[in-house]
Amino acid sequence: MPRLVIAGLEACYGSLKVLDGIDLDVASGDVIGLIGPSGSGKSTILRSLVGLTPPTAGSVEIDGDNVDYKDAASVARLRDRLAIVFQQYNLFQNMSVLQNVMIAPTKIKKRPSAEVEEEARALLAKVGLGDKLDRYPDELSGGQQQRVAIARALALRPEILLLDEVTAALDPELVSEVLDTIRVLAREGMTMLIVSHEMGFIREVSREVVFMDAGRIVERGPPSRIFDAPTEPRTRDFVSKILRH
Amino acid sequence: MLDYTFQYGQIWPHLPRLLGGAVLSLELALLSFFGGLMLGTVGASILTFGGSAARKAVSAYVTFFTNTPQLVQIYFLYFALPDMGIILSSFTAVLLGMTLNAGAYLTEIQRAGFESRRQSEMEAAEVLGFSRGQQIRYVILPHVARVLFPPLSNQFILMTLGTSMAAVFGVEELTGQALNINSTTFRSLEIFSVTALIYIAITLMASALLAVAGSVLFRARMRIL
Repeated sequence: MPRLVIAGLEACYGSLKVLDGIDLDVASGDVIGLIGPSGSGKSTILRSLVGLTPPTAGSVEIDGDNVDYKDAASVARLRDRLAIVFQQYNLFQNMSVLQNVMIAPTKIKKRPSAEVEEEARALLAKVGLGDKLDRYPDELSGGQQQRVAIARALALRPEILLLDEVTAALDPELVSEVLDTIRVLAREGMTMLIVSHEMGFIREVSREVVFMDAGRIVERGPPSRIFDAPTEPRTRDFVSKILRH
Repeated sequence: MLDYTFQYGQIWPHLPRLLGGAVLSLELALLSFFGGLMLGTVGASILTFGGSAARKAVSAYVTFFTNTPQLVQIYFLYFALPDMGIILSSFTAVLLGMTLNAGAYLTEIQRAGFESRRQSEMEAAEVLGFSRGQQIRYVILPHVARVLFPPLSNQFILMTLGTSMAAVFGVEELTGQALNINSTTFRSLEIFSVTALIYIAITLMASALLAVAGSVLFRARMRIL
């Protein structure tokens, strides 16, 4: 039973069509890797799904519930179930690590602070930052900030996690600490859509890999097939360039 | 050669009245500053996120109050409103005038702060389910408070000195009391030099307090949670 059903999704930046009819089913527990050249629309899929770049055509359903991106209540319900982590972390600079993780559950969802704090501490311990609770974002490395951002997203108990090039802004030696965190989530059965240029990682954690170009899905399949035996020439070209170096 | 004998002794008995006036001056400054700050937050929110009609209304308000003399604004409230059946005490008229005037300037100052908000944090807040109001309260205002602390402090000092205008309307704040005492003792030099010193003391103390507050709040960061 698919949890998230995307059909004919289109999105534009001004007059430029960046998504041109995307169909994608995501089942519960799926980990789907989105790969493709820059500008192919991978990140835009994630931004469209959460309503930051609202779709101009097509439909999105979660468990049979159709999302109306023009209706604030519908988008709010959607955002209760989807969470996104950004390339640039986007942490609240005026809040400590713990406050960053706690603010949405306490101030927006009005859950009791003591209960949320316990959960937030556990989440931060899980991403390896149990000793940084009172630090501020600008006192942390990029990798640490990104792990706070992941904890912040998880604090709302999303059903699906969208990861938008979460290691692209990191120094190479900090990439692995973030990837380790995502591996743990994958093992626990978290449903995830992952946009990344870390091909080795995508190959390892994804159940299915989707290759995109020019706003369309060119090819999809199990990682072994996409990386070792792609059928489309465009995919073959991309994969060979990636794997050559 | 100055042929004048300073006789401060004659005005010492009046010092408590001057200090009482100083307290009233501070009261006026604080009330109108914080009133204006609230108006300014609403104004800047509307200018940044409001619909076009609301934005035009706020722009008109700001344009009017920043392009007419404050004295004229208060005269209007004090002398023209009674013709429409609204009678204000001199203190209320001055407080209202100063607050509306401050609101216009503080709208402009805060608008700049709103414009320097970090779009990335706004997006993060949006997908975490923050409403526009919650984005302003939890993301923009802490940022604005931090970035704008120095210009807001300056505005407060200017407004403290501006309260002397209330004397024109018979409010017995520091300048008003100085005028009263002058009219009974005629020791103008002594009275106004002491009055000036009191103003200097007030603004220096306010500057020092604001500087300490700024360094405490922003070294430990603003916590508006």
